[in-house]
Amino acid sequence: MLAFGSCTKDFLDTEPMTELTSDNFYKTPSDAYDALVGCYDGLQIAIGASGMAFPVASEVLSDDCFGGTGNSDDYKYQMLDEFDASRSPANVNVFDDTWVKYYQAIFRCNALLQKMDQVQWGENQDLKITYQAEARFIRAYLYFDLVRLFGPIPLLTEPSEDIIPRFEVDEVYKVIAEDLSFAATQMDDVAYTELPSGRVTKWAAKSLLARVYLYYTGYYGAPDLVGVVNQSTALAHLEDVISKSGHGLVDDFNTLWPAASVDNFAGEDNKEVIFSVKFTYTSDYNGNTDGNHWMVMFGMREYDHLPYGRGWGITVNPELYNLYKDGDSRRDATVIAIDEEEIPFNKQEGQREYTGYYNKKYAPMTAIDEDGALGSIAEQLGGVNFQIGQFQDYYAIRYADVLLMASELGSSSAQQYFDQVRQRALGNDFVALTANQSNILNERHMEFAMEGIRYWDLLRQGIGTASSVLATSVTLPNGGVPTSKVISAGNIQATKGLQQIPDNQITLSNNVLTQNNGW
Amino acid sequence: MKKHSKRLLESNFLRLAFLCVLLLQANFLQAQDKTVTGTVTAEEDGMPIPGVNVVIVGTTIGTSTDFDGNYIIQVPEGGSLQFSYIGFINQKLDVAGLTTLNVALKTDTQQLDEVVVVGYGTQKKELVTGANLQVSGEDLQRQSTTSALQALQGQTPGVQITSTSGQPGEGLNVVIRGLGSTGNNSPLYVVDGVLTTDISYLNNADIENISILKDAASAAIYGSQAANGVVLVTTRKGRKGHAQITFDHYYGIQEVARTMDMTNAKEYATLINESVMNSGASPVFSNADIAQMGEGVNWMDEMFSTAKTENYTLGLSGGSEASTYSSSLSYTNQEGIVGGADLSNYERYNFRFNSEHKFYNDRVTFGENLSFAIIKNNGIGVGNQYNNALRGAFQANPLIPMYDENGNYYNSNGDSEPWLSGMSNPYASMVYGNQNAYETKKLLGNVYMEFELLENLKFRTSLGLDYFSSQGHTFSPIYELSSYDFNKFTTATQNMSEGKTLIWDNLLTYTFDINDSHHFETMVGSSSFNYEGVSMYGSNVNLVFDDLAHAWLSNATNTEGAQITLTGGPDARVKRMSYFGRLNYNFKETYLLNVTFRADGSSNFASGNRWGYFPSLSAGWVLSNENFMDSSSNWLSHFKLRASWGQVGNQNVGNFQYLAPITYQNTNYIFGGEEAVLTPGAYPNRLPNLGLTWETSEQLDLGFDARLFQNKLTINFDWYEKTTKDWLINIPVPPTSGVDSKWINGGDVTNTGVELALNFRDQISDDFSYSIGVNGAYNQNEVGQIPTDDGIIHGETGQLWDNSNEFYRAENGHGLGYFWGYKTAGVFQDVEEIQNYRGSNGGLIQPDALPGDLKYVDSNRDGVIDASDKVEIGDPNPDLTYGISIGANYKALDFSIQANGVAGNQLVQSYRNITGAYGNFPSEYLNRWHGPGSSNTIPRLTVDNKNFSTFSDLYVKDGDFLRISNLTLGYDIAKGVNKENFFASQLRVYFSVLNLYTFTEYNGMDPEVGYGISSDAYNFSSGVDVGYYPRPRTYMMGLNIKF
Repeated sequence: MLAFGSCTKDFLDTEPMTELTSDNFYKTPSDAYDALVGCYDGLQIAIGASGMAFPVASEVLSDDCFGGTGNSDDYKYQMLDEFDASRSPANVNVFDDTWVKYYQAIFRCNALLQKMDQVQWGENQDLKITYQAEARFIRAYLYFDLVRLFGPIPLLTEPSEDIIPRFEVDEVYKVIAEDLSFAATQMDDVAYTELPSGRVTKWAAKSLLARVYLYYTGYYGAPDLVGVVNQSTALAHLEDVISKSGHGLVDDFNTLWPAASVDNFAGEDNKEVIFSVKFTYTSDYNGNTDGNHWMVMFGMREYDHLPYGRGWGITVNPELYNLYKDGDSRRDATVIAIDEEEIPFNKQEGQREYTGYYNKKYAPMTAIDEDGALGSIAEQLGGVNFQIGQFQDYYAIRYADVLLMASELGSSSAQQYFDQVRQRALGNDFVALTANQSNILNERHMEFAMEGIRYWDLLRQGIGTASSVLATSVTLPNGGVPTSKVISAGNIQATKGLQQIPDNQITLSNNVLTQNNGW
Repeated sequence: MKKHSKRLLESNFLRLAFLCVLLLQANFLQAQDKTVTGTVTAEEDGMPIPGVNVVIVGTTIGTSTDFDGNYIIQVPEGGSLQFSYIGFINQKLDVAGLTTLNVALKTDTQQLDEVVVVGYGTQKKELVTGANLQVSGEDLQRQSTTSALQALQGQTPGVQITSTSGQPGEGLNVVIRGLGSTGNNSPLYVVDGVLTTDISYLNNADIENISILKDAASAAIYGSQAANGVVLVTTRKGRKGHAQITFDHYYGIQEVARTMDMTNAKEYATLINESVMNSGASPVFSNADIAQMGEGVNWMDEMFSTAKTENYTLGLSGGSEASTYSSSLSYTNQEGIVGGADLSNYERYNFRFNSEHKFYNDRVTFGENLSFAIIKNNGIGVGNQYNNALRGAFQANPLIPMYDENGNYYNSNGDSEPWLSGMSNPYASMVYGNQNAYETKKLLGNVYMEFELLENLKFRTSLGLDYFSSQGHTFSPIYELSSYDFNKFTTATQNMSEGKTLIWDNLLTYTFDINDSHHFETMVGSSSFNYEGVSMYGSNVNLVFDDLAHAWLSNATNTEGAQITLTGGPDARVKRMSYFGRLNYNFKETYLLNVTFRADGSSNFASGNRWGYFPSLSAGWVLSNENFMDSSSNWLSHFKLRASWGQVGNQNVGNFQYLAPITYQNTNYIFGGEEAVLTPGAYPNRLPNLGLTWETSEQLDLGFDARLFQNKLTINFDWYEKTTKDWLINIPVPPTSGVDSKWINGGDVTNTGVELALNFRDQISDDFSYSIGVNGAYNQNEVGQIPTDDGIIHGETGQLWDNSNEFYRAENGHGLGYFWGYKTAGVFQDVEEIQNYRGSNGGLIQPDALPGDLKYVDSNRDGVIDASDKVEIGDPNPDLTYGISIGANYKALDFSIQANGVAGNQLVQSYRNITGAYGNFPSEYLNRWHGPGSSNTIPRLTVDNKNFSTFSDLYVKDGDFLRISNLTLGYDIAKGVNKENFFASQLRVYFSVLNLYTFTEYNGMDPEVGYGISSDAYNFSSGVDVGYYPRPRTYMMGLNIKF
């Protein structure tokens, strides 16, 4: 019996047969590539499938959308829309899942970046720079969303199990600016067409850097981006994109959007897309998270009408629809108008804050199947269902944005860039306008409505301007019953437009994290 | 010689080296002069008894009687013989010149020699110092249940057994002395010495007895596996000279005992109108509409059908001098009452081969116990709200038709009436969504050899095997019932898995006496445990055929990757190595001491933390053996005080938690323009914890056992305090660390309770006897400390309805899994009441309330109702569990009744998915508030369900019940005809009703709700009724024949 004792140690040793461990990984460039794909996957989950998705929150917070959703649902979207915690006091964790998934994605980037030197690159030193730049771009992208939503946030650039306190925003922006500058300068000048779409390019880094520059200098009233990027550098990056990237505007604004163009859709990889977060329909409930899980929030409330599909009904402010001049092709590409399009919508009963308008740019879609029945395209393709099966990519940065940012930053071609965007939109109805800041911002509103950009464009004009634009008092039908709705400027000013830190995270940090004002 | 050896033995004992003693002792076997022969019979019937031990007193020399009760032995002049046999009183007789000595042994009515099964051995019941109890297989068989655990219900104080679902073959929650862990709470099962995780495969008739080790001292011999108690099952063994063939059969019809009363069409329409009008809109149904509505569809009735249950068991057993055997063959079939046999069915074939053979004068014993089971089953979803086929029937309103005008199942897609749109026919949904067939084969048993090295020194080695292989397939047809309930492709899934546990045990036991009064039983042993398994799963779409029978992966034509799932691989190997020992000592069977120790090493932990050590100590004092108790001996025949203390462990944590793995699972990205073409990626997905180690449960037990009034009344009493600490818990960590949780050791829970069992048995005359048993256990479960920053392990969300909030948790100072929500103080009757409901600052506490809304208690008195007002509003852990059994025999007639119950627990009931306005209502909603004074319990109805959308005590109901689980009336024809050469010794027919009636105020279908929200990490939730498959009521006829 005692004989067993001697072999006990070996006897009790086992090893996982279907997993690698951090000891035997990060060895080859191909390991590094797999880890990089892991970072992209983290980004995809954070943007596509986190609880209160950034693109949705950005729209609900803006003046373009109301909280809407089901008449029996809780009031978390109203709480967001009205910057008012008392609208849904039990919902103290609205952003928890978002927070978790963003930081998990950041962790994947940090883990790879930390192990970069452990990989035996051999003759592939170029690859090292490229992968490094891509991971740093993804990290910067994620931090930029977080810092805009919450202000000071935990900041870490390598993996750590410690409780990380909130860092001053300047420190966060410094990491973002340096990460993006690295990618914007170190990556090769490769035309976007030479890479599979979805990959980070030098051009994407340059464009995002300009967006960060504009937001930071606007919202915080700073002269430059934490000493790392000044106006002329930011502009130079944009000019580079315009002159070297190969990107351009597609001819017809409508063809950018599947629901607006259906058969004429320019495709998700069209030349205007500088960076997109890519989705497909293979999400399931067994852990595969590849889809656009938030698009269903924008669909018409439980109603299908070719080519639009059902959803949970975040509603669009009629003022947006009315903002567009006649002849502006962007109006019908941006908004589903129930009455104007003669859609026999009959689900007002279940709809809260019904306005008659829905988001068309990110609308779930339907088609007639072989049997002649109308149904979700996602489901027809094999998606699990229309909720998690939506597969439309999220255009994070379009070339039109590059043109308008360059114009706003004072490019010598400012007027030409500005006109280029407006001519595409207005066609024969084009009448020139001066490319001044007010006109550019107004144009940005019409150009980028529903794309998660408007709210941040408002905030960067200062909380005073933003709160006066956002404040409103209207009467909207909840389940068919007219109900008054107020968004108060006071609430927006109290919060400075920042969002609620998830209560769970404050608890988990043992109160090292603190709550934002107004929440 | 005798003296010499004895003196040696004593001195050697002092040196604690019994091995040497035996070597010496072996030398003294020497032939003596005189031959004595005789026959041993039973005094009662005069029949010869084979196998009686005949020993020369004061030596270890002996023999045993042959098949005809005869013996022959050489006895020294002036010697005496001792005759002993289980179930009979020992007799000592002087040979004194005789050469023939016939003996008639008296039956031991007191059953002083009754032995109970303990870990790695048996022990005389009289001498047991721990808290354990044993139920005989016959008592289990008498319950006529498919599962042995269900038959145990109500028979075992301190062991709470709860169905997780009424579906045939579904598991039961077994909780011994209260929940002790946030992780796994189920006890260790040991069948014939083989450790296993589940005994649902066993046929009741194959069980000799089940012994439950409740206190840590009894269980500690199983060390790291025993934190939740141990259930020891012994299968039937053969007996020498007792060849017998038995046949048992029952056939029963099952029906639903009680359905949930939901509103009918008229009531539903009325409530909907009211809720719409309360929300400011106009009524949906006109009075004329309502007037012409009938009952509508009663979905509850549609879901249930009557179903059969049957069992056939053929058993053979017997034995000769050298060999004993017991075999059986049985078939069990239980159909489900929900959906019938096509959707919910359980079928089992059992084969058992047990035999034992002795060689070389019984010095070598070889035997095996093998049970093989084939289980074929299929079932409906009985899980959470999204995987529960019955739940739809609560939600579906009576206006949804079963069929459309073409006779097909109704599809609501296209109907815009709000009460139809999005609704799904729950019956059709069950039929389409639950087509599956599974088959599991399980072989469990051991092969052993025992060597009697020297007198009373035995070495036993056994190789145990727990092997299973399991496969199944499912089919989903193309269908559409609503825009949310559809399947666009014919789909087949197929799964296979296989695994085996090998256990090699080696035991050395030595029993000896010193001075006749000091009795020692010692044991040392080792055990190695090794589990290996593999599994595979695949699914694909577009099948060539369109039914379950042909739903196999090879019949799927799709080649597109996105619709194909394929996984497979080995399970993590589990290995353990254990060493253990036990010393039992008693002085004149009056002062009892028992010490055990076990060391366990487990592959679940990093090499520095693998070993855990589990000691125990228990002692007893049989007061009734003391002289000073002589005066009470006329009424108190046995009284024993017991005390025990011990530590046991739990190591049930996922494997390799101490490593940092890189996962590729579900990690990929889509580059390029083509949908569904994925590029795989990887990331580190866990924080390693090298320090992870055992969970420890420490328990103190004080009790007594007594027999009174000529053994008619027995009393067993126990008090215990069980503290489980250093839980293996998965605590949330800041996501900045890259993961959301991590396994650590920490947290504890204390269960304190008392258990009492009273059994009264009396024989009034030769014709009439009766017995009454009552047992009860009171347990208090309280969490001590949880090492997270808020001291809480949070429950899952989205469980009661879509996006519902957390409603149960583990928290310091509360019962595990207590219900957490708003307390209410009735319903606001009028505006005045709302205006008067103010905080200390004078402000309105519920400014937005309207008459008819719930009045929430401002628990923290801060003048507003928010999350900080949520408190404990219920506890699913019962205070009291109890059982009652009554039996009587009159001539050939027998009657028995068995009941069990719980008290002091609460259940959460949620049948409506309140994110929709048009689900059906439980009938109790007819008592909703609809005007001042109309109700103070159920608030007004509104379309937005505002009064129902936060979890409050509205959802919490008392779960007390008393169930008459079995009533049986039997008649033994063999006894009735009383004929000498009747073909059978027993021919009993009986009629039984299972689940005859349940006394309860709970309004659901079944108050025995074992279901709880559970995930891999946390398994402490219970008492959640989101649409519960109730236990059927069964009427059955049965037959027992013994030839």
